[in-house]
Amino acid sequence: MDIFGSFALLLAFLAAVYAFVGGIAGILTRRALLTKSALNAGMAVFGLVTLAVGSLEYFFFTDNFSLAYVSAHSNTALPPFYKFAALWAGQEGSLLFWSWLLSIYAFWALFLNRKKHPELMPYVGVTLAGVQIFFLTLNNFVATPFKVLGGLDASGAMHVARLSEGSGLNPLLQYPEMVIHPPMLYSGYTGFTVPFAFALAALLGRYPGEKWIHITRRWTMVAWCFQSVGILLGAHWAYAVLGWGGYWAWDPVENASFLPWITGTAFLHSVMMQEKRGMMKVWNVWLVFVTFMLCILGTMLTRSGVVSSVHAFAESSIGGWFVGFLAVVFLVCLAAWWKNRDYLRSDNQLDSLVSRESSFLFNNLILLAACFAVLWGTLFPVLSEWVTNNKISVGPPFFNKVTVPIAMFLLFLTGVGPLLAWRKTSLDALQRNFAWPLGGGVLAGAVAFAFGFREFYPLICLIMSVFVTLTILAEFYRGARVIASRDGTNLLTAVGELTMRNTRRYGGYVVHFAMVLIFIGIAGSAFNQDIQKEMGPGDTLVIGKYTILCQNFDQVSNNNYQSERATLEILRNGRSEMMLYPERRFFLASQVTETMVAVQSSPLRDLYVVYAGRSPETNRPVIHAYLNPLVKWIWFGGIVLVLGTGLALMPNRRAALVLRPAGEASWGAVTQGAPGSPAPSPVVRRSGAHD
Amino acid sequence: MTSRLPHSSAVRTLHAVTVAAFLLLVLAPAFVPTMQAQQTQRAKTLGAKMMCVCGCNQILTACNHVGCQYSHAMLKELDDRVARGDSDNLILQSFIQEYGPTVLMEPPAKGFTWLVWIMPIVAPILAFFLIWQVVRRWRRRAVLAPAGGPALSPELLDRARRQAEKEIDE
Repeated sequence: MDIFGSFALLLAFLAAVYAFVGGIAGILTRRALLTKSALNAGMAVFGLVTLAVGSLEYFFFTDNFSLAYVSAHSNTALPPFYKFAALWAGQEGSLLFWSWLLSIYAFWALFLNRKKHPELMPYVGVTLAGVQIFFLTLNNFVATPFKVLGGLDASGAMHVARLSEGSGLNPLLQYPEMVIHPPMLYSGYTGFTVPFAFALAALLGRYPGEKWIHITRRWTMVAWCFQSVGILLGAHWAYAVLGWGGYWAWDPVENASFLPWITGTAFLHSVMMQEKRGMMKVWNVWLVFVTFMLCILGTMLTRSGVVSSVHAFAESSIGGWFVGFLAVVFLVCLAAWWKNRDYLRSDNQLDSLVSRESSFLFNNLILLAACFAVLWGTLFPVLSEWVTNNKISVGPPFFNKVTVPIAMFLLFLTGVGPLLAWRKTSLDALQRNFAWPLGGGVLAGAVAFAFGFREFYPLICLIMSVFVTLTILAEFYRGARVIASRDGTNLLTAVGELTMRNTRRYGGYVVHFAMVLIFIGIAGSAFNQDIQKEMGPGDTLVIGKYTILCQNFDQVSNNNYQSERATLEILRNGRSEMMLYPERRFFLASQVTETMVAVQSSPLRDLYVVYAGRSPETNRPVIHAYLNPLVKWIWFGGIVLVLGTGLALMPNRRAALVLRPAGEASWGAVTQGAPGSPAPSPVVRRSGAHD
Repeated sequence: MTSRLPHSSAVRTLHAVTVAAFLLLVLAPAFVPTMQAQQTQRAKTLGAKMMCVCGCNQILTACNHVGCQYSHAMLKELDDRVARGDSDNLILQSFIQEYGPTVLMEPPAKGFTWLVWIMPIVAPILAFFLIWQVVRRWRRRAVLAPAGGPALSPELLDRARRQAEKEIDE
């Protein structure tokens, strides 16, 4: 079976090479059959990599420890869903998983467009194949997951060893979210390859118009949504598993996942300027290029050991391959842009600084400033060591100081953008649209201040959050009121009708609201409290309005781990509210101990309790309790974000045709110089256009 | 009288000492936890400026890794130094000497590491300036560009205006 997997992987590599070389030859010789066979080879990669993945999973599920990768990341007692997730637990398997997800995207991109865009698709196929060649090179020749245990004897014969038991999965990964989080994040990382391939293809093939943007709009949103969910699930995993009371530590690997998300967000906004006004073409192409390169950089940071991180894979020499690939990608992008830069000339100019275009411009500037700050802080220790030969740390205080003001300004722009009109906004419209949302925000801030809410950034965040929420509500209300009065429906029905007519716009507003929820949740961290105490049965610990009463400590065990568990009664205002059971688990296969956090979560606050171990001096159990306000808003914001993106991905409600009375000319007829045309002219009443 | 004076003076002194001792005994516990709490708070603040060197990238007071070889010893050393009354600067310097500059959560704004602080401010300003220049160029072009579009007859324009007014009224 190992030979089967290796062979499938090697064939996948050869298919990708053929798709690349054959595709280029097809473009140069203009031989349609060659191009078609190259595109088919690109699709075949998916089937072959799927076979390799299936083969590796077979080893996991049959507890066949003859493969080094399987024996290092699994054991017999591991529950089945963790055996499945062990595929991406280590360097080699996760790279194979990466190739598999990439091949799925490539297959669908090529399959769905196989009969469309004949000028564009050969370039897309070549670009996708180029990226696949790189990852399949790693899978086949640098970090193969099909390495067998054993060796050569004196006569040169190969002997395969098979262990009776594996080392087990890293205990930190034995958590349900670890079955979901990496696939989500990797789907985000790999998903950005599709818009990258279309952008590069459009540039290389000088494909006319904004077609590539229309084609890739949904692909980009899907990748962005996966990336968002992946980041949030990672944060939730860190919160629920690592047991330090927080969800984001500005760790280099966390930052690496955040960087392409930022540029992807910038792209999703600036792309509207190109669609609407034919502006920012160079900017958009480079945003897609940079987003893809940041995905590769993030992967490199996680795997190379360049930066130290608790989330990183073991240090390896694979970083050089990624640096080389990044250099090639950058040079190709640069050359393609330089050669075809006249193709990217703007169709329109900025008419006014008070317009939606300029708000998008600022939004992009601020997002890129945030991206630069995070990238700079993440890589500065490497730069410092290289220049001064001194290692330094750049930790959370730096990132908080630099990014929080940027984030506040971004939140402000989230509210401002939808209120501005395309081209130019009059002063009257500005006053009319801004007055009550801004007034509402300031009023909320004043009330909070009067009630003793004095933390600067949380106060600003509250004002901005109320402002943005009111602007979103106002947008829905204004549109729905017109529909309700015209169609005679109630306001709620009209809101539904309005949303379904322009799903992208109103789905976008829902995503903006999700960001508000996430910002409120993050702002709550300014009021975190924590306390640590040695506790025995009968001892109590007080944090906020909660009293934690220690009842006893017991032991629980199964085939996978032995656990020491604390039984804690939670009292609020003297009344028993619930029981919490924080644990320390000793995993038998890996011989590693980890904490299992117990959390009582509510919309207002989380009571987060960790059994931190035993005091080295007294050998008494230590309980660490945290009171974290509003954390749940972050996770709820994540759900709203997915719903909003899903809404934006839906097609607009079908346009209904309304016929004009005979004798009334359509605008088309007027501009074509045929006034008074007697023929009835169909006019689309329900516009399908996006805003 | 003269013989009682020393006695009464001694008694008064004794009373004063007794009262002082009583007050000290009664009030000391009230002060001691406060002093300890302040020390703990100071240690917490200082601990938040340092990183655990176990490789977890977490602040010293937050590192909870099971079996961490460093955080417990580092926190104990921090508590001892705070209890001894060492200044913040002295404590931070001694930790840098012992564990290297990586122990500091954020690099000092001096020498080469000054760059880490200044660049996130300089880069957006430069980007803003660049965008401003692009916008100015765009706007200049927009002013200079002749009005485009097909030439319309006055009748058509009139018709268009009437249509627009009608739609606005509706």
